[in-house]
Amino acid sequence: MKQGRFKHQARCAVAMAGAALMAIQGWAPALAGPREQAKRLHDRLAGVPPADAVLTQMENDIVAKNYDSAAQRAMANKNFYNVTLKNFVAPWTNRERTVFVPLNDYTATVIGMVRDDVDFSTVLSADLLYVGNAAGAPAYSATNNNHYQYLDDNNVDLKTALQPATQSGLLGLPVAATAGIMTTHAAAQAFFIAGTNRAMFRFTMMNHLCRDLEQLQDSSLPPDRIRQDVSRSPGGDSRVFLNNCITCHDGMDPLAQAFAYYNYDELSGQLAYTAGVVQAKYTINSDNFKFGYVTTDDHWDNYYRKGANQILGFDGALPGSGTGAKSMGQELAHSDGFAQCQVEKVFKAVCLREPGNKTDRDKVTAIKNTFKTSGYKMKQVFADAAVYCMGE
Amino acid sequence: MNRILSVPHLLLVSLAIVLSACSGGAATTANPNAQTANAASYAGPAPGTADVQAFKVNLWQNINTANRCGNCHKAGGQAPMFARADDVNLAYNDALGVVSLAQPDQSRMVIKVAGGHNCWLSSPAACADILTTWIKAWAGGVAAGGTQIQLQAPTIKDVGSTKTFPANATVSDKPNASFEKTIWPLLLANCSRCHSANATTPQTPYFASTDVNEAYANAQAKINIDTPALSRLYVRLHDESHNCWAPGGGAVSCPNSSAIMLAAIQTFVDGIDVRAVDPALVLSKALTLYDGTIASGGSRYDTGLIAKWQFKEGSGTVADDTSGVDPALNLTLAGDTGWVGGWGVRFGPNGGAARGGAASRKLYDTIRGTGEYTVEVWAAPANVTQEDAYMASYSGGTAARNFTMSQRAYQYEMLARSSATDADGAPALLTRDADRDAQASLQHVVLTYDPVNGRRLYVNGNYTGDVDTQKGGTIGNWDDTFIFLLGNETSGNRKWQGTIRFAAVYNHALTQDQIQQNFTAGVGERYFLLFNVSALTGVSQAYVMFEVSRYDSYSYLFSKPTFISLDPAAKPGNIVIKGMRIGVNGAEAKVGQAYAPLDTTVTDANYTAGVGQRLSAVGTVIALEKGPDSDLFFLSFDQIGSSTHVRTEAAAPQPAVPDDEPESSQLGVRVFSEINASLAEITGVSMNDAGVRATYKLVEQQLPSVPTIESFVAAHQVGVAQLAIQYCDALVESGQVATFFPGLSFASPPATAFADTTLLINPLLAKGVGANIGTQPSDTDVRTELNRLLYGVPAAGGNPALPGLVNCNASDPTCVQTPARTKIITKAACATVLGSGAVLIK
Repeated sequence: MKQGRFKHQARCAVAMAGAALMAIQGWAPALAGPREQAKRLHDRLAGVPPADAVLTQMENDIVAKNYDSAAQRAMANKNFYNVTLKNFVAPWTNRERTVFVPLNDYTATVIGMVRDDVDFSTVLSADLLYVGNAAGAPAYSATNNNHYQYLDDNNVDLKTALQPATQSGLLGLPVAATAGIMTTHAAAQAFFIAGTNRAMFRFTMMNHLCRDLEQLQDSSLPPDRIRQDVSRSPGGDSRVFLNNCITCHDGMDPLAQAFAYYNYDELSGQLAYTAGVVQAKYTINSDNFKFGYVTTDDHWDNYYRKGANQILGFDGALPGSGTGAKSMGQELAHSDGFAQCQVEKVFKAVCLREPGNKTDRDKVTAIKNTFKTSGYKMKQVFADAAVYCMGE
Repeated sequence: MNRILSVPHLLLVSLAIVLSACSGGAATTANPNAQTANAASYAGPAPGTADVQAFKVNLWQNINTANRCGNCHKAGGQAPMFARADDVNLAYNDALGVVSLAQPDQSRMVIKVAGGHNCWLSSPAACADILTTWIKAWAGGVAAGGTQIQLQAPTIKDVGSTKTFPANATVSDKPNASFEKTIWPLLLANCSRCHSANATTPQTPYFASTDVNEAYANAQAKINIDTPALSRLYVRLHDESHNCWAPGGGAVSCPNSSAIMLAAIQTFVDGIDVRAVDPALVLSKALTLYDGTIASGGSRYDTGLIAKWQFKEGSGTVADDTSGVDPALNLTLAGDTGWVGGWGVRFGPNGGAARGGAASRKLYDTIRGTGEYTVEVWAAPANVTQEDAYMASYSGGTAARNFTMSQRAYQYEMLARSSATDADGAPALLTRDADRDAQASLQHVVLTYDPVNGRRLYVNGNYTGDVDTQKGGTIGNWDDTFIFLLGNETSGNRKWQGTIRFAAVYNHALTQDQIQQNFTAGVGERYFLLFNVSALTGVSQAYVMFEVSRYDSYSYLFSKPTFISLDPAAKPGNIVIKGMRIGVNGAEAKVGQAYAPLDTTVTDANYTAGVGQRLSAVGTVIALEKGPDSDLFFLSFDQIGSSTHVRTEAAAPQPAVPDDEPESSQLGVRVFSEINASLAEITGVSMNDAGVRATYKLVEQQLPSVPTIESFVAAHQVGVAQLAIQYCDALVESGQVATFFPGLSFASPPATAFADTTLLINPLLAKGVGANIGTQPSDTDVRTELNRLLYGVPAAGGNPALPGLVNCNASDPTCVQTPARTKIITKAACATVLGSGAVLIK
């Protein structure tokens, strides 16, 4: 009622305010001094304008060339977690890649890992799940998102509320079957649902190696692990297979085999894991090509270690093959491409653009090298990239 | 040396047959005689035995007519006189010399006709198939279900050097190796009247297309790169006098036309460099597809078959009915149709059809008696989006049919007229959508109909489980005037896109086992290719054997790799085989090397004499290059036995340094949740405030979702203003307002409250804009704007004065000088700052 009355009476005022708004937006930016740099640093990291006292502290840090301290002050704002990181992660958790999704266990786990400086190279393999400690919130459930929906609806401070737990404890998975964010409820619901589980691989590559299948195409790899459901002559034209289908499936299928025991059970609404038993979705449409690969276990091989995708820089200390999603997640997350991707994503989030020239690219490389050699701390990546883009 | 090998489900095949030359008969006729054979009125001695009777009924009465073998191989005519009409017993005796009841398709009679000897149809292969069917029927159980295959050691060929077609039609630095400069001009000038998509009556293949790339792609199959004189482009002119032209403007001359064509092909071939095989590779011996042992036959169940199309013709416009049941229901290809390699017909996007014509009545005549039938196709739908797409139909339009098999996206649909349905065969039997039975890959699709179960559909040998709730009925209401078609409806508007590689109709409903048997038998021709590796393994007559078939027009299917020796006494010992690759024409195939990761060992324990040891369960498709006549295959190994080849993996090509991006704005806009959080931070109003929460939910997706300032639009600003107003409303109506605006009296009317505007503006500047930040709007500018909001704009430059919110025009009904208006004005000023670029831009 109050709102309605206000709207009615202030019609004229709003119209005039609109005119004033436009006028105020028409100023020209000045060169950035320490205070201006501090303002941008805070804006980019926390997503909100700084309080005057914080701004002054950050200004002083910058004057003293304690850039990292300035960035850390900005990241002390709860909105770094509630807003910036949430927006950073949310698109990874759904097929539409939209940011307009509620908080979920995937997003919360990444936010928690960033907050606690957890080695981010375990994001695809850890037995880890962050839950909220908030009064009134329903308990975590493996079958729904109610817990996180409550945290989201009530704007609970994630900086303080999130607490680490284990997937093995909360989801009932064997420890060996936990694979970081890939085995969260949200990821399972989005990427293990129906289909053939290739979606989990594709979206993991998109989100964590910054490459969709188009960027991974390589026809030179052996097609021996391509499953039976892939027609070798789509519509009666094998050129389609030899020139298109094979270029993605030859590398994808031997890696996606790691998910052979996973499924999202739509009836119960939770991740299903059948140790030792290959999910039926791996053998659907088996008559499409009888001589295709028949999945009998969750053994995976990384064919990308040869061919054009060697440039992803896989870890020579790892064997390049294994069983299950956990070791496959390690294989991906220990690659140079993974680290590069994380830095590029952060760069874009805080600089509001892609690395666009040699200076940018060199900086990304430097941040990546620090990231890899200093325990894969994502918060440091945010700090380094934001400082780089705070203006001159 | 041959070795009899037990291979389940394969027909006994002998390749040791030596064909004798035909000692008579006319040359192959250019014009097929499509006359229907009539059973002769036999007045000679009765058949002496049951086998003679079987010969008479199944073979003799089909071939003794004048338009078939009876014209020459008659009494007193050309020996052997197996078609003589005077005494079927004597004919039987002669027939035994040219027929193999154990291997009907290897009968001398069949091979002779397959070679072009007096086929009564346009396709010798079709005549051979029909003869085979008749001989099989005569043989009865003798020929059914053969279980052995006799492998024949191929002639030893080295991989050697070879030529291959250049990748592109135009080779700019070598004109002689350029199709565009050598052969294409001739084709364009002399063949484009038909062999071009733009022709009045287009005839595939379009090797005379005005698009040189299309022409090149189609011409390659017509050029024999190893022996130019075997090129179809030449043979067609030279031997078959096919549409020759008049070189130089004189008389039409096939010798001259063909000579010019051959010269052009020779120039093209000579211009192509010979490609030598890498000498470092460990290689097997080489062979072509046709050097292999044929694995045809399978063990199809054909009893009750009344029409069959195998599409072996590969050219022309007629697909022959090779069922052997007269009258032959030959299909005429019309519209956008074309032959595909490995036997089949493609139905294109522009709607083609294979029409049966008047002979379609055969189906009516033969099915009416039994009241049940089966329609069987091997089909590869081009996509899984087409609907109302008729694959096989015996009908008279979109509303009347005897039966129709069609595709509806991922579903198959069956219409079958009976006493239980209407004239359109409706209601349709549709497979369950979720099962996605229809796939864009080669599928064996079978429709059966019987009076009890009605329609049943089988895909790839399995019953789909979709029950015909109409059940069966009688088919007394069938119409004998309907036409049998593939790929469309008689009305032309039910086009189906895809490839059909086999089709058949039976006059009874096949059982699950019979259908499974036909599915297992497969489709198309298959060969066993034996790649000699004796020299590499030290094992006598050792081979790596593949089952190879023409998969479609563009590839071969390699499957079932098996190490085998034709020497029954041979023992492999312990042979390591690693990194096996398939080579084509002197080089390893670039794509499809499914056996590259192979790492296995052939051992005495795992090896069975006569069967061998399977090396891998997977198969692979390898791209066709020159065609099955010419493509020379071989195998290479990283290791076989003690022979090794150390393969060095090529370094990954490093990506090029990307071009620098154009300079972009260093500024961005806050996105939806940042705006919400920022307004909460500035005003101190909780995001959980009911009004704020409701408004935010309302405008959340109207607010900017990406931070690039270039994407900011007016709709965003409206949303921002709406949310800012809500926050300011909540602030002013809350108890915090006195703290936010110290000294500002909300109990006073506007003129009093805003007598000192700094009480309003200073807090907004401090909290909404920030102090001493050079990149933010200046305090002066903001004050000016807000003062104008409050007190209007004085007259200037001929423009009249505009009132503000405080000194509003008395004629404005909202212009009331009350404390309530003070709040409204405060909210407006607040929203002006909070909804401005000062907050929005980051």
